Amino acid sequence: MAPHHMSDNQTGDVISYKEVNDDVVRTMTETGKWYYIALAGAFSGFLAFWILPWAYQIYKGQGVSGLNTPDFWGIYLTNFVFWIGISHSGTLLSAILFITKTPWRRSIYRSAEAMTFFSVATAAVFIFVHMGRPWNFYWTMPYPNQRQLWLNFQSPLMFDVFAISTYATSSMIFLYFGSIPDLAAVRDRVTGWRKQVYSALALGWRGTDSEWHWLFKAYTFFAVFIIPLAVSVHSIVSWDFALSKVPGLAKTIFAPYFVVGAIYSGSAGIVTLMIIFRKAMKIEKYITLNHFDKLGMLLLVMSLLWSYINVIEVFTGWYANTSAENETLVYRMFTTPYAYMFWLMIVTNTLLPLLFIFKKCRTSILACLVVSLGINVGMWLERYLILTTSLPRKFLPYMWHDYIPSWVEISMTLGSFCFFAMLFLLFVKLWPSVSIYEVKEDIGIPMRKGGGHH
Amino acid sequence: MDKAVLGLFTYADELLDAAKKLEGSGYDITIFSPIPLGHEIEHKLGPRKNHIKYFTFIGSVAGLFFGLLLTLGTAAMYVIPRGGRPIWSITPTLLMSYETTILIGVMFTLMSFLFFSKLPSFSKKIYDPRINVDYFGLLIDGNLRGRYDEVERILRDHGANEIKRVEETEYNS
Repeated sequence: MAPHHMSDNQTGDVISYKEVNDDVVRTMTETGKWYYIALAGAFSGFLAFWILPWAYQIYKGQGVSGLNTPDFWGIYLTNFVFWIGISHSGTLLSAILFITKTPWRRSIYRSAEAMTFFSVATAAVFIFVHMGRPWNFYWTMPYPNQRQLWLNFQSPLMFDVFAISTYATSSMIFLYFGSIPDLAAVRDRVTGWRKQVYSALALGWRGTDSEWHWLFKAYTFFAVFIIPLAVSVHSIVSWDFALSKVPGLAKTIFAPYFVVGAIYSGSAGIVTLMIIFRKAMKIEKYITLNHFDKLGMLLLVMSLLWSYINVIEVFTGWYANTSAENETLVYRMFTTPYAYMFWLMIVTNTLLPLLFIFKKCRTSILACLVVSLGINVGMWLERYLILTTSLPRKFLPYMWHDYIPSWVEISMTLGSFCFFAMLFLLFVKLWPSVSIYEVKEDIGIPMRKGGGHH
Repeated sequence: MDKAVLGLFTYADELLDAAKKLEGSGYDITIFSPIPLGHEIEHKLGPRKNHIKYFTFIGSVAGLFFGLLLTLGTAAMYVIPRGGRPIWSITPTLLMSYETTILIGVMFTLMSFLFFSKLPSFSKKIYDPRINVDYFGLLIDGNLRGRYDEVERILRDHGANEIKRVEETEYNS
């Protein structure tokens, strides 16, 4: 067919519709040896660093972690908040950019949404890890039971159960239904077991006008639901802390602080992941420097917002001028080792992203990689500091006790990254990780009488 | 059973012109496309209805009441007295209902999408795998006896690259 002329679209030098199908199907069917090495590495890391220590912890009891009076919320909950935070950009960003019809959404949103789903899964497992008796998880589910017990809905932990399961369900639906036309496109190209799998997944999609029509009506509603949902999820996560009376946690600013922090770390996560993903899959023409330019602007804005709220948080603690608040602040900002973490966090999250004021930095892959990794280190430290500098310094000094994570906790933290990497690696082989039909929309609708664009 | 006619086009505007012409002459048509043509189709063939919104609304309201019932009902049945605090507390009730509103709203939207789009459907249907790559298809169905020539002429006049007579049992993918 005749090549479509490119104009102001986002993708690089993609020429034709067919090429898009070819490229996306290629990422799924052609597998190099590095892919297998990476997958094997991630899988063994997941086994060795997460499953085995967890089995050990279940066998020996929660005592093998560093959790003890008064700090029962250590790295496990740090990781939980961190991964929930990472999840906050994919689906939320995708929904916002869909509603606002932003063109640069199209080639990155699918993998960003997958990132959301996998990081929610990773976060959810940390709840089980933290629980001590994970086999009693079903106690948090409302159903008629012989224990004659129902849930206490006035506990923020119950809000969490509902918010996170709603979020995971909706993100999965959003991801899946946005992919149906692409699953059909893959179905038409592959053979063997893949044919069977994608025929089932594509639900018999043919691309009729009525299918497209209803898909887009439904998809718009999903997007509209996702935005307030994502905001509510991280607000609720913040209330796990803010509804307590602990100095350093009981702050009214926590909900927006966490939402902003989540979008911030999630966007940085997208940048890191896209850099690796486009390089490994050789899809540089779909995820271009223009995408990094836009994401860089977003990171810069989120960085300024986050820094502002961080200053306010410290300020309100100082302004309250109670001995407990003052102690928490000094402990966090000027006591070894937390002072190093705190000031490193300020460097990576407030100062480093200022580089993105310059377009040269936003469009440099190296700068993007360094800054986005820095932000995620900083955001992990932020959550770590919130949990480890508040509970060990509560009101009564005789209760004070420093928290030191054990090897089990550190190992599981590493393991969670392997788990996430494993899920994402499986995703890029099993799912069309770049949206075929939306990249085609970007190329433009082929028209005989000129004017190929909306 | 009569065979249907499937025309394959390279250009969307030609397809839409043919669709308008054939629909005007009273034929049953179905448009196939590799990308959503919502705007263009509505522009050419008139606006489409959006029934999903009613289901989304009903689902959300049902979710809201489900959340209220669950939280308030649990509190009423398993009373946990805490010094002067209300048994029916407003904030957690609203929070839980907020989440269930969204959850059940999403579920209803999902169900109504599957209902209206008639998916999943695994029976043999007329289709051409090239449609998912770079072809636009126009299917003319219904009672075509003796009118094949007219339909095919219209398709050809509008620039169809390929015209074929197909049956539902000839599903090839």
